[in-house]
Amino acid sequence: MSAIAHGAIDCDVHVEPESMAVLLPYLDPYWHEYIRGGRIGIGHRLYPASEALSARPEARAAGSFPPADYSTLRTQLLEPYEPRAVVLTCVASFQAGRNPYYETAITRAINDWMREEFLDRDDRLRGSVVVPTLHPEAAAEEIDRLGADRRFAQILLPVRSETPWGNVRYRAIHDAAARNHLPLALHPWGGVSMAPTTTGGAASYYEDYLYNSQIIAPAQMLSLVAEGVFERHPSLRVVLAELGFGWIPSLMWRYDKDWKALWRETPWVRDRPSVYIKKHFRATTSPTQIPRRVSELEVAQFAHMLGAWDFLMYSSDYPHDHGEDGSEKLLGVLGEDGREAVLRGNAAAFYEIETEPAGVTPPETDEEARR
Amino acid sequence: MTTIDERTGETTAAATERATPATTLLVDVDVHPMYLPRDILPRLPEPWRTRLERSGGGRGSRQGSQTYPRLRNGGYRVDAAVEGGFPGSDLGLMQEQLLDQYGHDVAVLIPLIQGAGEPAGFQAAMAHAVNEWVREEWLERDPRLLATLNVPFDYPDLAVAEIERYADDKRFVQVAISGGAHSEWGDRKYWPIYEAAEARGLVMMCHVGGGNNGYRGAGAPSFYLEQHIWLHTTMVRLAMGMICEGVFNEFPALQVALVEACISWAGPLQWAMDATFEVLGEDLPHLEAPPSQYFRDHYWMSTQPIEEPDDPAQLLQAIEFTGMTDRIMFSSDYPHWDFDSPDRALPISIRDELRDDIYGQNATHLYTAAAERAGRHASA
Repeated sequence: MSAIAHGAIDCDVHVEPESMAVLLPYLDPYWHEYIRGGRIGIGHRLYPASEALSARPEARAAGSFPPADYSTLRTQLLEPYEPRAVVLTCVASFQAGRNPYYETAITRAINDWMREEFLDRDDRLRGSVVVPTLHPEAAAEEIDRLGADRRFAQILLPVRSETPWGNVRYRAIHDAAARNHLPLALHPWGGVSMAPTTTGGAASYYEDYLYNSQIIAPAQMLSLVAEGVFERHPSLRVVLAELGFGWIPSLMWRYDKDWKALWRETPWVRDRPSVYIKKHFRATTSPTQIPRRVSELEVAQFAHMLGAWDFLMYSSDYPHDHGEDGSEKLLGVLGEDGREAVLRGNAAAFYEIETEPAGVTPPETDEEARR
Repeated sequence: MTTIDERTGETTAAATERATPATTLLVDVDVHPMYLPRDILPRLPEPWRTRLERSGGGRGSRQGSQTYPRLRNGGYRVDAAVEGGFPGSDLGLMQEQLLDQYGHDVAVLIPLIQGAGEPAGFQAAMAHAVNEWVREEWLERDPRLLATLNVPFDYPDLAVAEIERYADDKRFVQVAISGGAHSEWGDRKYWPIYEAAEARGLVMMCHVGGGNNGYRGAGAPSFYLEQHIWLHTTMVRLAMGMICEGVFNEFPALQVALVEACISWAGPLQWAMDATFEVLGEDLPHLEAPPSQYFRDHYWMSTQPIEEPDDPAQLLQAIEFTGMTDRIMFSSDYPHWDFDSPDRALPISIRDELRDDIYGQNATHLYTAAAERAGRHASA
């Protein structure tokens, strides 16, 4: 199990309400009956307790994971590791069924819960806005509702989607993100009722988990660049959270090569795709997905392929356990400056954490958002 | 290396950095003969002949080629056009443009066959008609050619019957796995095919594309650009599925070629599989070694479309990440638009010995070793 870094900006820490009852105060009474009658629970199906990945031993020993309230988060993470800042993620809505109106209601409730339970209690905490994936207009409304609260640092999207996230049908979400100067964060799971691959479902949790990063995330990266989202919104940024990054150099090489021959299909993609990827994308470090047998030399070679010094932002992915996944070896090959950039500097710049005071400020006027 | 570089000068500059072609042996493991309705109709029994006539050739019929139009001459080399035919439909032109021009010692034919949504009987009849066409019109006419046996992959009893029909023809060195299989490739329903292939020393081979890609974890992309790059994830799925569901525990001698998916994804994928296996190994209690061990013991990869990082040294590094320098095989993908030429596919950073392995020795080992294990005479 990799150690959690001390004093870092931690870009992916999971929290989740202990039960649906916690969210009921944030929901219209109509949904109370819907939830009770349908026996809808928070679920914890995406990270089931039975899977070792779902909790580090100390979180498991504490009996509650992911942290369900501020005091647990403080005891388990904030006090022992003293992070400079933490970006909280709650993926409970990623399994919210096929009802777009329910998804709208439950995402709004989760956001309000995150604000009151966490953001109001500690200036180091940043939130992720979850949105209804089946209802892009409502998603844009939710982004606009919360965008003025600068303690929300990003818009959290499930990496699994009905259509790739760059698609024009999600333009309302792209526009709202840009208008509110919020990055999009892609994170494992989602895609309720949809098979993860062209040949159907996964036969094990192991496979299902890896398909998030090895098969689905690449499709999202291809889409966001090919659809010209970053031409429409030059300041829009995307973070790949808990999606690994080993697959990215290979994808950039293939993308640049094919673009040289096929650019006529997408003439709005004006630069080599890797230029957009390096400029607009960042990835969090956990899981690093580099096993022990990979040598330091190979890790260093890989770091050069990725441009790891600029591309990576530290995350513990607390409370998830990714074993000895190579994060220390990777940080080790980056040198002192590189280590500092990954632990703090890159995230500080990406989320503007040091330059922005916590609290409510007016949304920025975004020239591009009016285009 | 025939993808056209729009930036002035780079093509010339890149050319000087290309390694010279193989000096010992040239084996090309991905060459596409393209059949025409006139090739297949006489070889089809009724009612399938009428069905094929009515569907206009069965190529790209209801869900096929118009989903992602290929903005490069329909997906083919401009100079590979055949009058009154189709690129790849004429052996004479293929000899002129490929086999003779580059001095191929061996080319492994992969006739791409569509119709994964068709009924079992039609698929079986089509596969057999294509196999007969390959045998009579290609294998009989050029001794440099080896071939892939097409089977109705989603109907394993019919697939095994087709494998048995060609058991004595050593020129068919491998069996095609459908890239658009109905179920995932580790599914036990396909095991009779793997069993038959292993017993006869046949390689299983999957070529990207094909079938019904109607749903996927991120949804359907908008452009051929995306779809074409993403095709390699077919191999990610296949490679993980066959390992994770125990295919190689059951068939320890089975060898699988992953074709037209290039190479550089395979190192980091093995890393991710092993790192995750350390945590989630309980999900896969039947695995006796880290997943990468199965990967390196059972899979082979073809080079095309070869990656071209700005720093060519990184391609060699990525190849070495795979731990499979003895399992990477040159492929040209003739006559498709992204053809890789045998004299320019590999950058100079690929050292001579490895270059020879990739251009010919590795493929020779795959196809002869598999045959020898099953007591067949080596062909390649």
